[in-house]
This record gives sequence, structure tokens and C-alpha cells, in this order.
Amino acid sequence: MEQLILAFITGLTTGGLSCLAVQGGLLAGSLARQIEQDLLVARAGPLRPNIALPIALFLAAKLAAYTLLGALLGLVGAFLTPDPITRAGLMIFIGVVMVGNGLRMLNVHPIFRYFVIEPPRFITRAIRRTARGKTDFSTPLFLGALTVLIPCGVTQAMMAAALGAGSAVAGAALMAAFTLGASPVFFLVAYLATELGARLEKYFLRFVAVVVLILGLVTIESGLNVLGSPLSFASLTANLQPATETPETPTPAPVPTAVPPTAPPPTAAVATGAQKAPSAPVAATATQKGAATPAPIAPAVAGPDNAVAVLQLNVLNNGYVPRVLRAPANRPVSLALVTNKTYSCARDFVIPALKYYQLLPETGRITVEIPPQKPGTVMRFTCSMGMYTGQILFDG
Amino acid sequence: MIKKTYRVSDMYCANCAMRIEGLEDHWPGIVSIEASYRKGQMTVAFDEKRVTEAQILAAVARLGYTAQPG
Repeated sequence: MEQLILAFITGLTTGGLSCLAVQGGLLAGSLARQIEQDLLVARAGPLRPNIALPIALFLAAKLAAYTLLGALLGLVGAFLTPDPITRAGLMIFIGVVMVGNGLRMLNVHPIFRYFVIEPPRFITRAIRRTARGKTDFSTPLFLGALTVLIPCGVTQAMMAAALGAGSAVAGAALMAAFTLGASPVFFLVAYLATELGARLEKYFLRFVAVVVLILGLVTIESGLNVLGSPLSFASLTANLQPATETPETPTPAPVPTAVPPTAPPPTAAVATGAQKAPSAPVAATATQKGAATPAPIAPAVAGPDNAVAVLQLNVLNNGYVPRVLRAPANRPVSLALVTNKTYSCARDFVIPALKYYQLLPETGRITVEIPPQKPGTVMRFTCSMGMYTGQILFDG
Repeated sequence: MIKKTYRVSDMYCANCAMRIEGLEDHWPGIVSIEASYRKGQMTVAFDEKRVTEAQILAAVARLGYTAQPG
């Protein structure tokens, strides 16, 4: 349910604007032409009552088409779930397309016009001639369904999310929520195309261009974060922050899994939590609900050179605390991830360098075993959306 | 029939090209219009006995765009 609300808000705030940049002008413009009495005259006039029905049909068809697409993606995704690295690549690609579109809309240079999808002439002619029908309500239905063929950047991101939804129903619900959220902006575009005319639409698109540009940069930043890139803004600024966490409790090595100081009674479930750790000896223990409450961190205690250093990271709804941790080099480290009524995407924890990916319990504690690292190593961690980040500094 | 290419530098989206191409539906003398937002141009094939170049350029101007011989 929470994911559906997020998808709806994404559609409402960014999806509609992004889709406007890629497809809105083309298809909503076609719809507007159907409503206009004469394209060549193109007089601005008041919004007439009969405009509402074709627009509603257009949006209903769009909703149905994307819901079906979501079901299909969910079904496919049940067999093929993209890992965070693949998603990061997709996010960067989408971000570049969005930035390119933003610069194109601002008319920075003609080269950015190559970021726009120009449908083949036979398709635009077919759409145009279909849109000319003045009384046939199948036209807006047809046009609405056609939008599924030219998804915008944010829609593609949502499609990727639908791919990872796990089932046809979840994928359909996700895309439906997103499309519903994006619908008001589409209505606005149709309204502007008829009410305000092309000239004012230009100014509106400039505003959209700036928003899309910013969103594109944010998307690229998120993709870089998920990849663990040192070039992301978050990584660059994280180096400016003081490290506030040092090893908590040394325990003798070798110990495969560290028992946290706030461990639950022996009856609590303990399970392997790492979903992916193909190239690094990473292990994890998970303690589910009722296990822990983020506790104050004890001061650093020096231990023997071969001891396992224990770090605690509090996973909160608004990110990770502390964002920068300090750990000894050349020693194994147990990183305890503590959640306490955490519902945000911060739960979807990724350490790119270790190819570690784990959906943390809403409340609980999961320990990640990190192998010894060289002095000077900066190990970045992030949520799978690249929104919340942090890093561990290994020093001698 | 005459076929001419014009620069239309003030198109701002792919829909602009489609709007301009829509003129061929309204003017019987226009055989075809191929407009490209990427290239910033349009190529018009028209019957000079039924529609003049000036009429076409005026129609484009009424849509909000400036076409210049390219």
C-alpha cells in the first residue's frame, strides 16, 4: 500500500511533467485538435463543457493500457528481477535522457533535439487523421492507449519498478497508481492546448523543462549512488562530514557472525539475510521484529589486531545515522543494521562494492560481515533508489 | 507540382512538426508536408495552381511558426 501511495505521488509530482516532455505534447495536442473547431484559426476560447468527456476517455484508456503493461511487467519480473546494479544503469540512462530533454526544451543547442522520439511519419499521420474525427469517442480512447508506446523517463523508471513488483497484480497496481497520479497534469496539458494556445504552451513547457532537467540530474545522482560511484554529489559531500561512528565492540576473530549487544532472547529467529554476495565473503545474520531499538553507541574500545570490529548503523525513515562510519583497516568488520519502525526505502540496503543487497525488516537487526579492507578504502552504502547514502572509511 | 524546403527554427517539440504537417489536411493544393523537429525544417509539395507559397507560409505563421526558404 505504501509503495502504491509513493507511485501515485511520483506520478502526481514528476511523472506527469516528465511524460509531458516526451509524449504529452504529441498526444495531448492531437486530442486538443479534435476538440478545436478549426486548427488553422486556433482561437483561444473558454473551456467548453464537452471537452471533459473526451479527455476523461483519453485518460481512462491510458490508465487501462498502463495497468495492462504493469501486469505484463510484473509477470515477467516474477521470473526476471533486475539487480540494483542493473537498475542503477537504467536510472543513469533515464537521467541522461531527461537532462537531454530538458536542455532540448530550453533550446540550448539543436543537437539536443536528438533526445526526442520522433515517431515515423505514417504513425503521426494516422494519429492526426484519427484525431480529426469530431464525434467519435473511440478517438481519444485510441490515443490514450497509444501513449503506452512512448513512455517517458519517469514512466520507464516506474516500469522498472513494476518489473520488480513480483507479480502481475502488484505490477498492475503500481502502474495504475502512477498513471492515476500523472493524469491531472495531462488534463492540464489538454486544457492549455485548447484554452491558452501554442504560444502560452511554450512558456509552460519552459517551466517543465527546468523541472525535467532537475529531475534528470537527481536521477543520474541516484544511479551513481547505487553504483557506489565516488563521483556522485552525495559521495563528494560525504567526505566533508566528520566520521561519527567508530568500532563499537571488538570480538575475537574468526567469528562468522557477530552477536549484537542488544541481541534478543535465544528464542528469536536467526536467518541468513544476504540475497546476493557472489564475489565477496559477506555473510549476514538477521534478527527480526522485536529485536532491537537503536541504542546509543558505546565509545570505541581498542581491541586486538585480529578482532572483529563491530559497527552499528541506524536505518531510519529519513536515512542512515551516522552517514559516515570509521573502521579499522585489515580487520573483519561486523556492520549491524538496525531498523526500528523503518518503512522508507532506506530499508532496501545496498553495498555496491560487495554486491550486497538486502531488504531489511521494518524492525530488527541484520549483521553484515565485511572482509578486511585496505587502509584508505571508502566503502559506500545506499538505499536501492540512491536517495539515502553513507560510507565507511577504513583507516590504519 | 512544386517541392520546396523551408527552415522552421522555432518548433519546440515533435508535436509542432505534426501541427505543421496537419496543414496538408486543410489545403487541397498541398500534396504533402514533411516537417522535422530534429532538422528544424519542412518540405512542402504543392500544386502552385491551387495554392501559393505565400498562402502556405501565412498558414504556417498562423500556427505560430516562422518558415524561411532553406
